[in-house]
Amino acid sequence: MNPGFLDILRTLLAGAATAAQVAVGAVVIALAGGLLLALAIVFTRSNALRLVIGAYVEWMRNVPALAHLFVLYFGLAAVGVRFSPLGAAVLGLGLVGAAVLADVFASGLRALHAGQREAALAAGLTPAQALRYVLLPQMLRLTLPSIGNYASQLIKDTSIASAIAAPEIMFYARNLVTSTFQTPLIYGGAILLYACIVLPVSSAFAFMSRRLEVGR
Amino acid sequence: MTAFLAVYSSYLHEWWPRLAGAVRVTIELSTLGFALAIVLGAVLVLMLRSANPLARAAANAFVQFLRAVPLLALLLALYFGLPSFGVTLSGYWAGILGLGLQGAAYVAEVLRGGLTSVHKGQREAGLAAGMAPHQVFLWIVLPQAMRVMLPPLLNCYVALLKDSSLCALIATDELMLTARAMASEYFLPLHIFLLVGLFYFATAFPLSMLSRVLARRLARGRRALGVN
Repeated sequence: MNPGFLDILRTLLAGAATAAQVAVGAVVIALAGGLLLALAIVFTRSNALRLVIGAYVEWMRNVPALAHLFVLYFGLAAVGVRFSPLGAAVLGLGLVGAAVLADVFASGLRALHAGQREAALAAGLTPAQALRYVLLPQMLRLTLPSIGNYASQLIKDTSIASAIAAPEIMFYARNLVTSTFQTPLIYGGAILLYACIVLPVSSAFAFMSRRLEVGR
Repeated sequence: MTAFLAVYSSYLHEWWPRLAGAVRVTIELSTLGFALAIVLGAVLVLMLRSANPLARAAANAFVQFLRAVPLLALLLALYFGLPSFGVTLSGYWAGILGLGLQGAAYVAEVLRGGLTSVHKGQREAGLAAGMAPHQVFLWIVLPQAMRVMLPPLLNCYVALLKDSSLCALIATDELMLTARAMASEYFLPLHIFLLVGLFYFATAFPLSMLSRVLARRLARGRRALGVN
């Protein structure tokens, strides 16, 4: 059976849906986790807490994502904690993303003028309100390019989930190859598909950053 | 917890030599890939800054395309797809090529940023002082550009170190593949993958720290952004 290029694309598209699920799940964990960690790093008075968070961030960032996924999927299964391939991928990429964004958000928060927070508190806002209405909006504006970078990288990293049998694009591609042997067409199609997903996303972030006139 | 750690004391003497040998392959992959990335990146930067609009467009398209494609897809395409065109690369060389191509896109951006950070007047002054263009580049522009380029280049190398783990999926005998093999031999995936994580950490962390320290030291004495 010799499928044409369009049939190949249609099969790979099924994988794109899974990749999107993994990316969305991971981004939620990464944004929430990264924000919490950054707030902890910047505002805590405990050196121990900062050390622990720092250690977590350094570990997640200096060890390859593939190793993290293997630990979650194969490693934890050996001690009884079983994740589905999708679950392990979302959790693994999310935890790595939280570490990356923690660094990004922490430097973003530190780049804000201290007077912003002082003025907000002096004007009668609670610390939480100061965060929500004054600090975070400015920080998000500042860090938008970095978040865009992270988002593009995350979409590309979903391909790693194929190594733990998550049914996304590369997984479908490899199965197609074993059944039809149209290797260049299949991998060429997969590459094209990724490019078609990533380029609009990074352009969208670049456009938003330009609209908001972020410094660089 | 002690039972968990006790496993290491019984097996470490068997695991360590295998992993240490595999780390050498990982470092080879990343270093050769990085070398290729520097060479290709330099070519790309020359094209990006050339007066020829065709060269600029081609280089731009190349960089944009490479940055939009996952490394795994690139590696699989090179390893499994190229043979259909007559070029059969081993996992090792396909890995180096893939790492080099992706690295080149990143390196080209870094080099471009570094070169544009040097004030045009520096070059003009050098030429006015009677230096040949290549001397101006070598002795005036490049040293100043290095201040800005060195930390990101180090970061790129660390990224390639981590990305070399993907070469395991194209049958290259590096750290991750050895770890998988060992995990299925000993049935201790958690211990082995955590240990392998430690190996990667021990290799990458010092370089990341160096990059951060360098960035701070090289920025000393440099005037603020935009004021050149």
